[in-house]
Amino acid sequence: MEVLPDVAVAMKGITKQFPGVVALDSVTLHVRRGEVHALCGENGAGKSTLMKILSGVYQPDAGELQISGKKVNFQGTRDAEVAGVAIIHQELELVEELSVAANIFLGREPRKMFGLLNDNIAKEKSQSLLTLLEASISPEEKTGTLRVGDQQLVEIAKALSLNASIIVMDEPTSALTDSEVERLERTINTLRQQGCTILYISHKMDEVFRLADQITVLRDGRLVCTVDKTETSPAEVAGWMVGRNIEKHRFRRQETIGKCLLEVKNLSLTSKDSSQRGRLHNVSFRVHAGEVLGIAGLMGAGRTEVLETIFGATHGRWQGEILLSGKSVRFNHPSEACDAGLVMVPEDRKRLGVFANFNVNENISLCSLFRTIRNGFLSRQVEESLVAQGIHQIGIKTPSQATRITQLSGGNQQKCIISRWLLTKPKILLLDDPTRGIDVGAKADLYTLINSLCQAGMAVVLTSSELPELLGLADRFIVMNEGKVTGEFSHDEATEKKLMAAATLG
Amino acid sequence: MMKLWHLFPRNALQRWLPSQNESSLLVAIVVALAFTAIVDTNHTYFFRPLESLRDIARNSAMLGIFSLGAAVVIIAGGIDLSSGSMIALSGTVCSVTMLALAPTEMMAFQPVGWVIVLIAILASLVTGFFVGTLHTWLITVIRLPPFVATLATLVGLRSFARALCESSTSVLTPTKSAVINVADPVFKAVRDNVWFSVGTFLVLACITWIILSRTVLGRHLKALGGNEQASRLAGIHTDNVKWFAYCFGAMTAALAGLFYVANESVAAPVNQGRGHELNAIAAAVVGGCSLSGGVGTIPGTVLGALFLRVVIDAVSKIIKTGADVYEGLIVGGVVVLAVTFAQGMSKVQHDRRILPGSLGLCTIPVLALIAGSLAAMTTGIGSGLAAGFTALIALLSLRIYETRRSSQGV
Repeated sequence: MEVLPDVAVAMKGITKQFPGVVALDSVTLHVRRGEVHALCGENGAGKSTLMKILSGVYQPDAGELQISGKKVNFQGTRDAEVAGVAIIHQELELVEELSVAANIFLGREPRKMFGLLNDNIAKEKSQSLLTLLEASISPEEKTGTLRVGDQQLVEIAKALSLNASIIVMDEPTSALTDSEVERLERTINTLRQQGCTILYISHKMDEVFRLADQITVLRDGRLVCTVDKTETSPAEVAGWMVGRNIEKHRFRRQETIGKCLLEVKNLSLTSKDSSQRGRLHNVSFRVHAGEVLGIAGLMGAGRTEVLETIFGATHGRWQGEILLSGKSVRFNHPSEACDAGLVMVPEDRKRLGVFANFNVNENISLCSLFRTIRNGFLSRQVEESLVAQGIHQIGIKTPSQATRITQLSGGNQQKCIISRWLLTKPKILLLDDPTRGIDVGAKADLYTLINSLCQAGMAVVLTSSELPELLGLADRFIVMNEGKVTGEFSHDEATEKKLMAAATLG
Repeated sequence: MMKLWHLFPRNALQRWLPSQNESSLLVAIVVALAFTAIVDTNHTYFFRPLESLRDIARNSAMLGIFSLGAAVVIIAGGIDLSSGSMIALSGTVCSVTMLALAPTEMMAFQPVGWVIVLIAILASLVTGFFVGTLHTWLITVIRLPPFVATLATLVGLRSFARALCESSTSVLTPTKSAVINVADPVFKAVRDNVWFSVGTFLVLACITWIILSRTVLGRHLKALGGNEQASRLAGIHTDNVKWFAYCFGAMTAALAGLFYVANESVAAPVNQGRGHELNAIAAAVVGGCSLSGGVGTIPGTVLGALFLRVVIDAVSKIIKTGADVYEGLIVGGVVVLAVTFAQGMSKVQHDRRILPGSLGLCTIPVLALIAGSLAAMTTGIGSGLAAGFTALIALLSLRIYETRRSSQGV
């Protein structure tokens, strides 16, 4: 390989295997100094793994890594930091209890005599870095009280304090508001002018095309291509990402829409802590039998809060009215909602859905245990045949019912949780971002499932962080931003552009 | 789908066989008994087998009863540090009730009658229920961490029991006293007949086992311990499940407290059951309960309690001093070893070194000192020095070996 002088990062033939899957298969990537290089690909395409190798989190099984023309062999993130590579992970790694300055200099605290901490220097340096980043944050503030966008800037300041010349950002905008995204883009441009090389992971095409100089597309752990931004178009890149031209394939359903099952009137929620997050203002919508209502919105827009409030799972105080088949209800606990035929599949599968200490059987039967009682005790046989039905109904791939749920793929885990609820025979199903972090095949299965549930007369409320998915599945849409409904569209009116515009409406 | 059906009989079979942890505990118990029988110079196990068996059975049953409570709380994802103090309070409440209802008989060491005994027992169990309720309120409403809530009652309940004992004796008897003697024949019978405690323990163990494995409540307890937020979102009334767990924990301790009073013929809140909460937690942990919740079995806990008592008995037989002196050391050591072998070996193997870096270097004299001082205290200065130096040299060579191997490895 010829080493060009202006190549900041050269990764050659990088291969990385995890038990059961090849995450990266001989990927080669060249990044020029001082450019913003976007990495695109679907979930599981290998973007994050590649960047974790670049930043020393993982070691490659095969392949060579060069920084500024020098071959390196990172054994940990420390080695990468010394070589000037810093990564800002999707899930921020800040100590929330510490101040901003303490976080920026965590592990490299400036010291004075007798090894005492020199907070003044830390504060001064932090302040100058934050000023550079246009952040109006005080270095003394507690990091946990900052908004996500500001926390991200703290991470960037941390990277700059390391004198990093190569900064990796893993989907930095997924939790940001529009103005924060703009500020981040300005920051990235400033960094570029100062000679920083930035690797930017995103699957938001508009951002990628605003920011990037070069675009690399990965698919299923393989390199598809690296192109100059000027030589391609968003549609082409999106096509490379999925490996086919994405036509808006929509499920054609027979017109089976029935009577109104769920109506929400002027739902307002004040969350327990006074932060802006987790608030709702006058949210209203209706869902009919046999219909999928899609709730679009960025992270933190209030989608989850709406579903949680309806389900009786919120901790905050709420006003407004919820009508189930025309009857006013007010659920104080999820079990009441479940008894009334309304169930929710929560957003964060690992944290809120899966019982890692249970096997597949116990995970699926959990909500219908009362149906398996014979002679006053749980009957294993009844339970197993019930779960077998559930497994069969939505095609969960598991070696046996006694398999630990954590051994299944993310998609099958999610199916187990959905099956858990379907066994309670609900009339209304709330799905909070059900396809997050699951593979393409399982996604397709879920789409078919949602579709068939609707045809059977169920009302479905669906949120998704992927607009094309939502567009393909839902019959009607509401769009939320900062706890308010900012748009309502029918199946025919809705386009990605319109939904996005409404979702980012000030 | 037919494949799944084929697998069922094997799964059913697997459920009835003891798990790996339980079978290794059984083996460990047998080994400990055999070792003691041979090494003990008085050969107590050979010459007085029934007496030895009775001691172990009684002690295991008394520990086992509230270990079951500790296990249920731990499986539900909590912790109950207060059971030792609950034992003291239960004994005190029982004796004070009898003293209040039949002061003359109590002071004359006469029978008080079975009705009053029954009332006293009920009063103790109700106290357990109250304490469990208090714990649940502190944890779910006031939102204290379980560790803090039960740490407060660990200290508070014993103090409360002592105050109760002193103030009621000062009112009901001529002199204020820190103990209340219990001479009722019911309690004597329980003391003299080991089957009362063993029977209670076994019945309670069976009930707990059935609750955990065959009822909705049991499944909800495990779900709560496994993932509290997910449990709530799955429609489980997590606060009620916690209420059950903490009441069960406190009431088993209250029950154990009654056996303590019977066994010692006295309610002595100053030191009855002091520190025993940790033995119960240790029994549950040795028996396979995970302190992070959601994992654990009742057969394992029963065997864990039995194993602890067998080892404590073994040491008292072998070194011939009071078991109570070395009890803490034994329990501590057993917990470290059992949990290391049950769960930790894979982690140790993964790191490949047990004495890494400067931490490892400093651990060498610590371990050598423990070995040396233990040997010195039990068998004399000479062998203590020998044991200490042997341990030091052995650990140093292990360290050198590990350092060499890891430098070659990279």
